[in-house]
Amino acid sequence: MPRPTPKSSNSFPRSRGTQAFARPQGQADELMELAVDAAESRQLPEFLERFAKRAARMLEAKWGGVTVFRGRETDLYQTAGGEIQLEAPQQSAIIRWARENRHEIEVLPLLTEPALSRLPDAAAAVVVLVPITASDQETLGSLCLLRVRKTLNEVERRLLHALASHAALSLENFRRFSQLERSKRQWVEDIDAISDYIVVHDRSWRIVRTNRSLASHLGVPPAALVGEAMSSLRQIAETGSELPCPFCRDTQQAREEYVVASPERIFLVSTSRAPGLSDDDTRTIHVLKDMTDRREAERRYRELFDSIQEGLFFATPDGRFLDVNDAMVRMLGYSSREELLRADVGTHLYPVPAARDRFLRALAERGVLRNYEETLRRKDGTLLHTLQNITAVRDAAGKIAQIRGLMLDVTEQKTFQSQLQRERDFNQKILNTTQSMILVLDTAGLISYANRRCFESGYREDELIGHRLVDWVEASHRENFEAALETTAHGHQVENLEPRVRRSDGSMGHFSISLSPMRDEQNIVNSVVVVMTDITDATLLQAKLAHSEKMASIGRLVSGVAHEVNNPLAAILGFTDLLLENPAIPAAAREDLQIILHETQRTKDIVQDLLSFARQRPVQRELVHVNAVLRQTIKLRSYDFASHGVEVSEDFDENLAPAVGDAQQLQQVFLNILNNAYDAVQEAGQRGRISIRTQRRGDLIEVAITDNGTGVSDPERIFDPFYTTKQAAKGTGLGLSICYGIVRAHGGEILCGNNEDGRGCTFMVRIPIANEAAAATIAKEAGR
Amino acid sequence: MSLQSRVHVGSPILLIEDEPSVTAFLRAALERRGYAVVNAASGAEGLERLTDGQYSGVISDIRMPGSVNGAEVHAWIQRNRPELCARIILISGDTANSDTQALLAQSGTPCIEKPFRVHQLLTVVEKTFGKP
Repeated sequence: MPRPTPKSSNSFPRSRGTQAFARPQGQADELMELAVDAAESRQLPEFLERFAKRAARMLEAKWGGVTVFRGRETDLYQTAGGEIQLEAPQQSAIIRWARENRHEIEVLPLLTEPALSRLPDAAAAVVVLVPITASDQETLGSLCLLRVRKTLNEVERRLLHALASHAALSLENFRRFSQLERSKRQWVEDIDAISDYIVVHDRSWRIVRTNRSLASHLGVPPAALVGEAMSSLRQIAETGSELPCPFCRDTQQAREEYVVASPERIFLVSTSRAPGLSDDDTRTIHVLKDMTDRREAERRYRELFDSIQEGLFFATPDGRFLDVNDAMVRMLGYSSREELLRADVGTHLYPVPAARDRFLRALAERGVLRNYEETLRRKDGTLLHTLQNITAVRDAAGKIAQIRGLMLDVTEQKTFQSQLQRERDFNQKILNTTQSMILVLDTAGLISYANRRCFESGYREDELIGHRLVDWVEASHRENFEAALETTAHGHQVENLEPRVRRSDGSMGHFSISLSPMRDEQNIVNSVVVVMTDITDATLLQAKLAHSEKMASIGRLVSGVAHEVNNPLAAILGFTDLLLENPAIPAAAREDLQIILHETQRTKDIVQDLLSFARQRPVQRELVHVNAVLRQTIKLRSYDFASHGVEVSEDFDENLAPAVGDAQQLQQVFLNILNNAYDAVQEAGQRGRISIRTQRRGDLIEVAITDNGTGVSDPERIFDPFYTTKQAAKGTGLGLSICYGIVRAHGGEILCGNNEDGRGCTFMVRIPIANEAAAATIAKEAGR
Repeated sequence: MSLQSRVHVGSPILLIEDEPSVTAFLRAALERRGYAVVNAASGAEGLERLTDGQYSGVISDIRMPGSVNGAEVHAWIQRNRPELCARIILISGDTANSDTQALLAQSGTPCIEKPFRVHQLLTVVEKTFGKP
């Protein structure tokens, strides 16, 4: 690197240096003045500039400067108005050297640094660096001097040390002072930043200081209030204090705290008293905290707390209320808040202690209980059903310190609910135990509900629910039934429909049905309740009763008629006989008389049969073995059966008990039925089959005679006198009527029905088994 | 036989029957066989004649209008004319009646049911009263 040629214009004249700095009388004076300057100076830069200038003068330097280290930064203060002013690169070079040489006095030639080598007389000049070291050995900065003479003598070195010591002392002082200033300023700023009003006054009630909040409340700068009387602050809040300070109450107390309220604001006044600067002074510090908003919030909270309809409480885990609201007091039936606060929660409110334990356990476990149902006891002992929302407040150790809760009185709902439940259960029971089938249809006639009875009757849920009830009704009754549904849908009840309805097993039954409209809240019919009862048995019974009444009255009628007919018949028959005995009667007349005789005989037979049917006399009373009677009867016709290919099968219960009655009459009955069967299978024109079965059915002997003949067109009327489907010649039409009379006289019943397979019919004869007493009596009579 | 010996053989048969046509027929049939016949049109009249006259036997209808029926005639004869006890023939138009049944079963009295043939009648009459 070529060494820069010094410029003549910027020459460093040695002679002028001595002229520029008038030497003072001596070094000692300079140092004295320096000390005074240091003590008096308040501004560090100016002092350091003067210091640099003085040092340069004392050491015959062309330029003097002081570097001050502030962390990584370095400030350079140089001789103001001196012979040489360093430019920025040259200052940087000096600063770098200063930072590199922090411990000893160094003398460095200018030429070693390019930036400095351009200075006049650079070749001959040096920089003297003197570290400025604080009392704690920290290097605070350096004194830097630029001079032509290259060496330092001992006197100069001592002088430089002395100067460095002065500089160190001054820098340390300045640093402390500025720290103090800074922290003082910070303190004021902090105080000013506090929104609470702060005022400090002395013993003579004069304001020493206020913060900005207080001053701006009054609309003045804080400094304006210093020295004013405390009484001037009365406008902030009227406290009622008679002392000159509105915020002081008892000046003997080191601390005071109370709340004062003015019409607009509420303040919490905290007062501290501390010794002042002098012994006989006391500083009183008032801090006024504006609590207006907090108080308002508190008031609102309290209002809410008390006006809310739900019970609110704060309680301790050991069972004391800390606070409760009015609703809570009312709910639990206490006369006042205080009374409830005295109550022991565990023993007074809980009907059973276990419930309280359960509650505490649940709370400890979960911390929060939502919609917790609890039954509590009111003061008067009645039960209170509650719904609670509880929060546990825990202490630092995690133990429950407080229980906070909200409580709803659900007693009424609970009572209503249980009443509803009871009613529902009751209705359910009725629905489930009634012997009637109950169904609900929607307006489209689809089944939406069926009670248990329906399923007990064998119907399946999937064939009822969602299906049309009318489909179960016999086709011929459907139109009627639909019309009835329509009527019900219009809001009218329909009673005592008696359609035939298909049972679950496919058979048709006779049902009594009532339809009732069910209305919704708007009184609109939205469904139909159907009550169905299978009255087939009842209908049957009724039909039987009607039939037997009919038969009885027919019996009375024919009995009377027969008797009346018998007299003229007796005369006709008798005189015909007498005429026939008369030899004078010509042969032609005799033939006519024979016809009269024959027809009279026929008439007589009819009347005899009528009388048999109507016969009221008791049958012969003897023990009758029905199987034996049947076998005998079959024997009577066996020739006919065999010769006409009619097969007769017997299925007899051989242990059948005897009946009491007239064997001959019963034989007449069975013969009659067999004759009917024979005629029927002959008429059907196929291979005839007659099966006879006997069995015991309760206290009855049942004889079933089944044929595969033509069947009967009207089983209901077959026992009516003169009802016959046979050709006129085949009988009087009284055969089965006579059977009916005989069986009835035996205390039994005779029934006829077409077979379910559609072929032929079955006659059923049921007569009572002889009870033991009757059997014994008869046996005794027979033995006599 | 002692009772029977007191019966006046040859005396007429008392016929108690309310139905005139039947009465006419019975009378004709019996008289043609040689029996004498006295007839009464009611039970009450029959009892009157029984009180007054002598009869070889009594033929009575069971069911008759009026205060006295065949059963009562039978009972009266049992009490008052024991000699005629075995000489009664009852005529019934209706054996279904339980009273009739009881009466017949109890006494063993022969009974002819209407309507009947002439020979049926004469067989019973001859058997009970003897030939005329």
